[in-house]
Amino acid sequence: MPSLLLEIGCEELPAAACREAERQLPALAREHLGAEPAELYVGPRRLGFLVRELPERTPDEWIKGPPQALRERAADGFARRHGVSAEQLTVRDGFLGFERPGRALREVLPDRLAAVVRGVEFAKSMRWDESGLRFARPVRWLCALLDAEPVPVALETIPAGRTSFGHRFASGRVEVAAAEAYVGTLREALVEPIVEERRARIVAALDAIGGWSDPGGALEEVVHLAENPAVLVGEFDETLLRLPERVVVTAMQSHQRYFPLGGNRFAFVANGGDPDVVRAGNENVLENRLEDADFTFERDLAVGIDALAERLGAITFLAGAGSFADKTERLVRLVDELGGDETAREAARLAKADQAAELVREFPELEGHIGAQYARAAGYAEPICAAIDEHYLPDSADAPLPATPAGRLVAVADRIDLLNVAFRLGRRPTGSRDPFGLRRAAIGVCRLATEGGVVVPRSLLVPDARDFVEERFEALLRVPVEFVRAARAAPAADAGAVARHAEALADAAGSDVFAAAYEVHDRAHRIAGRREAEAAAELDPALLRDDAERALAERVGSLSLRPDGDVRASLAEAATLAPLVERFFDEVLVLADDPALRANRLRLLLELRDKLRALGDLSQIPV
Amino acid sequence: MALNLQDMIVRLQSYWAERDCVLMQPYHTEVGAGTLNPATFLRCLGPRPWRTAYVEPSIRPTDGRYGENPFRFQQFWQYQVIVKPAPADVLDEYFGSLTAIGIDLARHDVRLVEDDWEAPTLGAWGLGWEVWLDGMEITQWTYFQQLGGLDVELVPAEITYGLERLALFLQDKRSAFELEWAPGVTYGDVYRENERQWSAYNFEHAPVDVLVRRFDEHEAEGRRLVELGLPLPAYDQALKCSHLFNLLDARGAVSVTERASYIARVRDLARAVARAYVETQREHDALAPA
Repeated sequence: MPSLLLEIGCEELPAAACREAERQLPALAREHLGAEPAELYVGPRRLGFLVRELPERTPDEWIKGPPQALRERAADGFARRHGVSAEQLTVRDGFLGFERPGRALREVLPDRLAAVVRGVEFAKSMRWDESGLRFARPVRWLCALLDAEPVPVALETIPAGRTSFGHRFASGRVEVAAAEAYVGTLREALVEPIVEERRARIVAALDAIGGWSDPGGALEEVVHLAENPAVLVGEFDETLLRLPERVVVTAMQSHQRYFPLGGNRFAFVANGGDPDVVRAGNENVLENRLEDADFTFERDLAVGIDALAERLGAITFLAGAGSFADKTERLVRLVDELGGDETAREAARLAKADQAAELVREFPELEGHIGAQYARAAGYAEPICAAIDEHYLPDSADAPLPATPAGRLVAVADRIDLLNVAFRLGRRPTGSRDPFGLRRAAIGVCRLATEGGVVVPRSLLVPDARDFVEERFEALLRVPVEFVRAARAAPAADAGAVARHAEALADAAGSDVFAAAYEVHDRAHRIAGRREAEAAAELDPALLRDDAERALAERVGSLSLRPDGDVRASLAEAATLAPLVERFFDEVLVLADDPALRANRLRLLLELRDKLRALGDLSQIPV
Repeated sequence: MALNLQDMIVRLQSYWAERDCVLMQPYHTEVGAGTLNPATFLRCLGPRPWRTAYVEPSIRPTDGRYGENPFRFQQFWQYQVIVKPAPADVLDEYFGSLTAIGIDLARHDVRLVEDDWEAPTLGAWGLGWEVWLDGMEITQWTYFQQLGGLDVELVPAEITYGLERLALFLQDKRSAFELEWAPGVTYGDVYRENERQWSAYNFEHAPVDVLVRRFDEHEAEGRRLVELGLPLPAYDQALKCSHLFNLLDARGAVSVTERASYIARVRDLARAVARAYVETQREHDALAPA
């Protein structure tokens, strides 16, 4: 059986587009050619595959028609539309239809290959000519061969044949003799079309150099930035090591896609050129970048962190919520209310100072870290500097929390302030729009309150923000959402207690005491919850006629469930009411004809229910 | 001997003139990038083919450093080329221009690194690259897809050379101020004092209340001119708004939320201008003899 090559020749594709195509090409080959690719070619200037053992024909296809029951009315029309006679129709699963035989694949290849090209979907795509074809970057040629024979492709604006192109500058046009000769021809033309080979070549060279790191994940981009990767080592002026290490690493990795080797050395991947010339050029570029950063760094240092902090009054935090100076005042107050010590207070006072630093404008991803450097330079104690450094953590759902107690307090205060301000200004996130990162902030508060052990009084959050934060527990805790909703109604004083309460309720859910307490609450709530308006303002002991209601009233009066107590013990205590409630409903008619009695009995049940609210709103939990 | 800066410009001018580009001149109103020159922004709209090349001073007040930083300026120079529609070999045309200014492409590492361009104040976006020469970004390359909120009819390639970067590379200098502009005259001779004074104006002395008022006035005038069917002068009003916004930003007078609102106002005006421009061009074409 023949081999088929398809190469889609492109102008330089982004790495993300290469990865998207890499995921889709096998399925597209299966869908349109009925075969699994034996090799995938993915890189900046070409996407494609080689299929070995291409089937000769497309698979037979069952064409489904009208239901068998409608044969008389519909069979002729259906058959005519498909160019067959009604006698040829057969029945399958109660429907008429016929088997359309597969066609010679060779006949349909031009359309099928075009369908593969059209079928690749990119998150970002573009038009480039009048054909309206969309791709991540312009497609400039197609190389399609069935063994040694060129196959036309039904995309009229793009030339197709046996022509391909090698390395953009070190080679040029090449003719591919046959599908199986493709990889060899390209390698001669200084292109490695197989991404695993390029990655292996780069990693082997980096390993041979040794000591490389890739904290920002540049490798996965670099494999798609060079068709003929060569790893080179460069150095920069050692005096630039006075810059904070993360500034140096960020300049290398996110700006230049270099791999730090420690000290003043770095490795990088080139796609050609004279190694000495290319090395010298890259060294220059990095030095220029670092000198630019150093220039800024020195200017900031000359100002100093305290003077930077004083400039915060001129920088707006959020319109309607004052400047960063105002924000800083609020942070210090919040840290006080969170029980912070002098270290946490000082960290809060200086946490936002680097918003006035020029270096943060150049390296926004290093806010906090840069401030910590300036605080260190000014001689602040290390715990203060560490807290400034890490108060932006956690910056994603699974990022680590700040390691120091002061760092955690400032982190909580920072998020509480953002949430309070945003909700006061009515800037609640809608759908996918969350420009201030309120979801991330709320998740941060939840994680700091649970994993981080910070006591976060619920009263510090404005009501809407508090609801928004506590709603995050529904996804964060490993308990059914109803238990979170029940626990949120409990009078727990802090966010961590709400979480523990939800977990304790869920943990107890299968037990007898839970069932009994739930029943007590449920019976009281079901009859009285809807009649609050009819209930007496206060319970009148004089109106308690029956023994059963006096007994219940007495027990309710003495019931003291501690809101911050052990949930299981509270459940057990609530469960002891079960026989009294049972007797009450057996012996007492709540909805008595006498309105005074009725109002009093409703009040009794409401008092019972409200005392049980120390356990949360159990009515949220389905039976 | 490496080319000085003005010879480099002359070479680029000849190269693109030979390739049927109309050599335009810098625009007379401050622009943050050569893209905003109407020779790009407006001419890239509509169905008419267009090839142009020109030098443009790019004015970005927040990038000023008082002439103290050898890599940052509130005014720098771009060389802008528009090829509309972009032919299949447009990249080769561009690489040829690098050869024309003396870069041996076989000795260097030339890379096209993804750089998707978006200008919210123009309702514009496109896909393209940064061109890296031994790791240094020397050109921004964009295939426009939308301008002023309108899909482009013929996809243009926009090629924007950073002249200081290119010259630093060619002359092997470590500071832009040391570049040779003309024989015996450095870039610093020509522009350092300019940087100092403009940085002082942009960061310290530009009058915020006046800028805010001017923004409102230019916006209103732009709207009025659009209504009158005069998109070309209306477009200048949008440019002035855009520059005033940049100045307010340099003065630290724009908060996060105000920023969004200013950007939306410039964008809405630019969109209205773009629509009016396409409209008047269509009417004009309808009247013109075939």
